[in-house]
Amino acid sequence: MSHSFRLPPLEIQEHTLENGLRVVLNKDNAIPVVSIAVYYNVGSRNERDDRTGFAHLFEHMMFQGSENVPKAGHFQYVMKAGGTMNGTTSSERTNYYETLPADQLPLGLWLESDRMRSLAVTQENLDNQREAVKEEKRLRYDNQPYGQIFDLINEMIYKNFANSHSTIGSMEHLDAASVDDIRDFFRVYYAPNNAVISISGAFDPAEALALVDRYFGDIPAQPVPPVIDVSEPSEVALNYREWHDPLAPFPAFLIGWKIPARRTPEFYALYLAGKILYDGDSSRLYQKLVKGDESVIQLFGFTDERRGPSSIFVGAIPKPERDLSQIREVIMDEIHDLAAHGPTAEEMEKIENQLINDAVRMRQSSMTRAQAIAEFALYDGDAHLINTELEELLAVTAEQIRYAVGTYLNTENRALLDVVPAGRG
Amino acid sequence: MIELPLKSPPPPLSPVTFDVARPTVTELSNGLKVIVFENQRLPLVNVRLGFFSGDVHDPNGHTGLTSAMASLLGEGTENYSSRQFAAKIERLGASIGSSSSDDFTTLSGSSLSLYLNELLELLAEMLLRPSFPEDELDLYRRNTVDHLKFQRSQPPFLANEQASRLIYGNHPYSVVSPTPADIESIGREHLVKLHRERLVPNNAILLVVGDVETRDLIPEIEERFGQWQPRPIPDHVATEPVPAAGRTLAIVDRPGSAQSNILLGNLAIRRTDPDYFRLLVMNQVLGAGASSRVFMNLREEKGYTYGAYTRINARLLAGDLEATAEVRNDVTGDSLREFYYELERIRTDRVGDDELNDAKNFLTGVFPIRVETQEGLTGMLFNQYLYGLDEDYLQTYREKIAAVTSDDVLEAARKYVRPDEMAMVIVGDAEAVRPQAAGFAEHIEIFDTDGSKIG
Repeated sequence: MSHSFRLPPLEIQEHTLENGLRVVLNKDNAIPVVSIAVYYNVGSRNERDDRTGFAHLFEHMMFQGSENVPKAGHFQYVMKAGGTMNGTTSSERTNYYETLPADQLPLGLWLESDRMRSLAVTQENLDNQREAVKEEKRLRYDNQPYGQIFDLINEMIYKNFANSHSTIGSMEHLDAASVDDIRDFFRVYYAPNNAVISISGAFDPAEALALVDRYFGDIPAQPVPPVIDVSEPSEVALNYREWHDPLAPFPAFLIGWKIPARRTPEFYALYLAGKILYDGDSSRLYQKLVKGDESVIQLFGFTDERRGPSSIFVGAIPKPERDLSQIREVIMDEIHDLAAHGPTAEEMEKIENQLINDAVRMRQSSMTRAQAIAEFALYDGDAHLINTELEELLAVTAEQIRYAVGTYLNTENRALLDVVPAGRG
Repeated sequence: MIELPLKSPPPPLSPVTFDVARPTVTELSNGLKVIVFENQRLPLVNVRLGFFSGDVHDPNGHTGLTSAMASLLGEGTENYSSRQFAAKIERLGASIGSSSSDDFTTLSGSSLSLYLNELLELLAEMLLRPSFPEDELDLYRRNTVDHLKFQRSQPPFLANEQASRLIYGNHPYSVVSPTPADIESIGREHLVKLHRERLVPNNAILLVVGDVETRDLIPEIEERFGQWQPRPIPDHVATEPVPAAGRTLAIVDRPGSAQSNILLGNLAIRRTDPDYFRLLVMNQVLGAGASSRVFMNLREEKGYTYGAYTRINARLLAGDLEATAEVRNDVTGDSLREFYYELERIRTDRVGDDELNDAKNFLTGVFPIRVETQEGLTGMLFNQYLYGLDEDYLQTYREKIAAVTSDDVLEAARKYVRPDEMAMVIVGDAEAVRPQAAGFAEHIEIFDTDGSKIG
């Protein structure tokens, strides 16, 4: 490191209740707000092959009331207390979170505990939320130009069903979901021993722990959920697919590679390689394609971070009449160059400053901290990793980046999805 | 069954007070107003330069010029090429941007506070010494023309385009986007002239928020921005938009669309209107959030949509109130009926105390959450000074919300929710939508996604 920049560590306390609920407390009194994040160890990776979209549909059901909270009461209690809340579902987990004025910590804990203890499931609520989810699918996927390409490429990258199928699921499977399915899923996955609760912000840790124990302590543990296999062969499932998108105004393409799991040295190195290749106006591909060749309208890339095999993507919307294969050649040339020569000293300095900047910036918000801490606690069993991740990233060398790009990206073992506009004219 | 310890929501702990300090304001000799808010919590800094000139001040016949000028500030300067400039910023781990909105032009930067001086230097470079290279302008023109085409595939853009036209009539806010011809006609000389005339210190504010010491910072700002010369700025003539005479329905035909994007809207208030807080509370009851009436009705009860909301869009010269939802095709008419039901109900029935207090508690409670990050606080302060709100705006914000009564809400609803003159826009499959929507409108127009009237 050229800078002797040291972030003061976050104050972290970890506890486990008798019923197995893991509790992480991060006190920071700077602003009188408190964030609660409850992470359940269930995502689309746990779904049956005839119930895709179920984990996400279930997330909606968690807002439909529980023994002491009426339907939609969760929204209303949080909002009238001056708070914000939501829930999201990924391949890895389902999370629920709220940020509240600091004095409303008991309310947040009570709400989360009531639905962990006693979710109310009715046919009417299920039918209604099924419709809301279908509208969400139409809005975000079916009615959006390019809206389905990430689901499609995951099916090309991964061979294992647990990894390859979409989180939003299929309309047929959503239709097939029954009240009994919801009840079973709740019993198996929404148990205290399958969850982490993380609290960050202005509070007294002893008081918070006592409150958590009071509200969650008597929720019974359940048998450990079935273990799932997310292992993958290193080869992608499908190298090439053409997708006719009736809403796309321009052709586009997306390239995806299968890479090692999160927190491995290889994953870190490829995450940093991504910054060099596609992040920001000074990145290599932006300068080559958007500036130099002036061949693309939009360039994007990101890593999809999972506990098992993960992925990295580069995509572009080329300008009309441009030769797509030529653009892809530029991308592969740049990857080849990075694999041969590694990042430059300037690029390493840029990455270092960006990592420090990102790490400081994420610490501002109690919600961002609560979520990051909950992930480490759930995935790695160690919330303190929040305090060492920056150093782990800064320790990645240029040579490690060069090697990882050479091994995982500079290869024909990748999925290429071509989007062909199929609309009128 | 276990005996539950608590069947009802627990009371709050003892309240924690929260006060926002006031920034210091210094005026440089060239008229630049410098606002500094010290916040040493984390080693970060946010800088914004705001100009009281925006897209509405585009010279006649040059729609899109302000936006082009703002976008090109960092794409080549006296000392750096576009590429060198991007590399300089990103090597610091910093970010810099420049853009225009309807009323303002903004340059913004953020970095670790240890790079504050470098950040100020780069902002000064792009602000004071842009070179507007021909090749970068050429690239901008071509990319923007492609972008204009791309945004026509986005239903929210198409809805906003028609709604703005119907709501604002001849007012400049009626135009939401330049045409390809506007973009093609931009010449380097236009950019240079606009930059010289508008980006002047007497038309600007400079806001710095973060881990800084004001007494050290002011000389650094003087050094970089002190020589910047003021010049008289042309008067901006503000016209009043004219309210619509009846309900017009514009359908943007998107054959095969899986959903209908509904947007209803009418004129409302400017950002500085004294009715702002009443309308804010009214809107919270009606449709701002997931516990508001339209969401509870259209999503939670009916399952027509993933989200249904209302919003107030209060700008410098005028503003509007809008209701939006994306619904499946076959419930387009049902959704309109429920929207109008809620829009009428809030005008006729006084809001109950519980519902009123819930809305107010939300708005006051989220205030500290909104300023928890430096970006959030910077955004609020920047708006306060751009819109010329009261000096104690952030300090009295929660009091003003708390003072709103059910009479105020009813009055605001009667004044600013006007279902009989609302513009109605639906982006969707015209064949499916028209029969369902026809009964709600006095006049129907149909457009294609290029914006051409086809019926």
